[in-house]
Amino acid sequence: MSRRSYNAGWSLTGWVFLILLLIFAVAPMLWMLITSFKSQFAALKYPPEFIPSNPNLEQYERLLSPKNEVGRQFLRYMANSIWVSTATTILGVAVAVPAAYAFARFRFPGRQALFFSVLFRNMFPAVVFLMPLFIMMRWMGLVNTYSSLIITYLTFGLPLSIWLLKGFYDNIPIELEQAARIDGCTRFQAFYLIVMPLSAPGIIATAIYSFITAWNEYVYALTFLNDDQKLTLPVGLQRFFTEYATNWPGLMAASFIMSVPVVVMFLILQKYFVRALTEGAVKA
Amino acid sequence: MNSSTGRKPTPRGLFGRIADHRLDYLYILPAIGVMLLVIAYPIYYTFYLSFFRTPPSLAMSDKVFNGIGNYITILTSESFHEVTINTVVWTVWSTFFATALGLGAALVLNRQFAGRGVLRGLLLIPYVISAVAASYIWRWIYHSDFGVLGAILNRLGIIDGKLNLLDNVNLVLPSLIVVNVWKEFPFAMIMILAGLQTVPDQLLKAARVDGAGAFHRFLHVTLPHLKGVMVITVLLLFVANLNHFTIPWIMTGGGPAGASDIWITQIYQIAFGRIRFGLASAYSVILFAVMVVIGYFYVRALTGNDDVRRRG
Repeated sequence: MSRRSYNAGWSLTGWVFLILLLIFAVAPMLWMLITSFKSQFAALKYPPEFIPSNPNLEQYERLLSPKNEVGRQFLRYMANSIWVSTATTILGVAVAVPAAYAFARFRFPGRQALFFSVLFRNMFPAVVFLMPLFIMMRWMGLVNTYSSLIITYLTFGLPLSIWLLKGFYDNIPIELEQAARIDGCTRFQAFYLIVMPLSAPGIIATAIYSFITAWNEYVYALTFLNDDQKLTLPVGLQRFFTEYATNWPGLMAASFIMSVPVVVMFLILQKYFVRALTEGAVKA
Repeated sequence: MNSSTGRKPTPRGLFGRIADHRLDYLYILPAIGVMLLVIAYPIYYTFYLSFFRTPPSLAMSDKVFNGIGNYITILTSESFHEVTINTVVWTVWSTFFATALGLGAALVLNRQFAGRGVLRGLLLIPYVISAVAASYIWRWIYHSDFGVLGAILNRLGIIDGKLNLLDNVNLVLPSLIVVNVWKEFPFAMIMILAGLQTVPDQLLKAARVDGAGAFHRFLHVTLPHLKGVMVITVLLLFVANLNHFTIPWIMTGGGPAGASDIWITQIYQIAFGRIRFGLASAYSVILFAVMVVIGYFYVRALTGNDDVRRRG
């Protein structure tokens, strides 16, 4: 085989693989969408209809209307999720920015050790901390409060945020700040007026990451909250499922609505999100 | 350089230097404070509790010191062996397939073509949506009576009759692994894609001029450059899978007959189902020990990269 045809074959294999992978990735979401346009009765036909014969928005109307009980519940869960995710994001940025700046600029003793102990958190997702935290939250009287979730979610995003932002601060010339100081800025002003705007992409990246993680989180929300009025969407979804066990179109519509904010946010700010994910491992 | 303020470095002992920098610590105080509260203390308390027999109540007052009794109970329990095998199967295969698919996707996406950005975005969506939504979507796809997968396989003539995945002790774990791979291959893809962009173009061109085919260029130029990223990706996926709770919990709850029970679902069940916090803590410590070993390699891989960066 000549090299040219060998390369062409290699390239064709790549395309076929890509198309199969695309089907694998997208088909389940498409099926969620298709099912959500069916009535409860139509969803239980066998074999299933790939194109709904009688598509309607019945499920969405029910979920998004405050006029009925299901809708009220769903909208409440959504409001809870928005509140928890937003608070987590804002606090996360407020805590990560000064820390990252300090790790990048100052040479205090223990800097390396502290930095890596922060990164070490990456190694311990979720459940290992669940039990002791639950006991702790009980002591502090925080079970069934959003604070318990916000404090916990805060630490999910922190290591990544600090790492990412430190990368930005490392690259901002220190002379810029020194010039600002000479012009009469305080240390804080120099930071606030010069460094903050320059690290805006990093801040956006960490903010999206924090928001999406908080929005999707399930285990802690499942454990810390048991008041029906306070649940966030992922746990609320499960509540729906157990109560309306056979309503698959409703469940798919709820899953879709729940996915919309994060997917839209992600598609608009894809560049930053990708940066947040990869910055830790690759520094080009 | 001492700090941004350009203070003179004073040649004093450790405490003197700490005192000199006391203002610096204010910047990291909130971050370290939260981390201590939510991480350091729980780690300590898990260790502590793992040596106690706790009554099935949430008040931790009447616990009894039990030495390593909890550990013995777990390691000698009937289910431990099976659950451990499930955990290894789940973790290793999920990591392997997610990395393999991610690598393939990254290699194809690393060329320039129209619609590349859109394609990357579409492939990333499973990673962004919540694991809860993903679990329900796949439960519906797998549904033994009305599931679309069974219908398709029937129409293609691959199977005849009902497709029973989640109630079948042999098929349940592979079925869950498929869902997990669906959810996390985009992560591997995006990491490796970022790694590919650091491969110097000149090297690839030089190899092409020297007559190396696509496959050889990949093997001898691209792959060595990807090593660092691959190691970190695999480690991160490995840990994430070892700790993955949502998909098995929502899709099967560990069933049928414990066929999809892994360490983490088992720990949750012991802690919040049976309310045996002491026992669950000991279980957590075992899991924890495994992760500390992996964590060691993770930090080493990260710092190793740092050295390369400085030298390069």
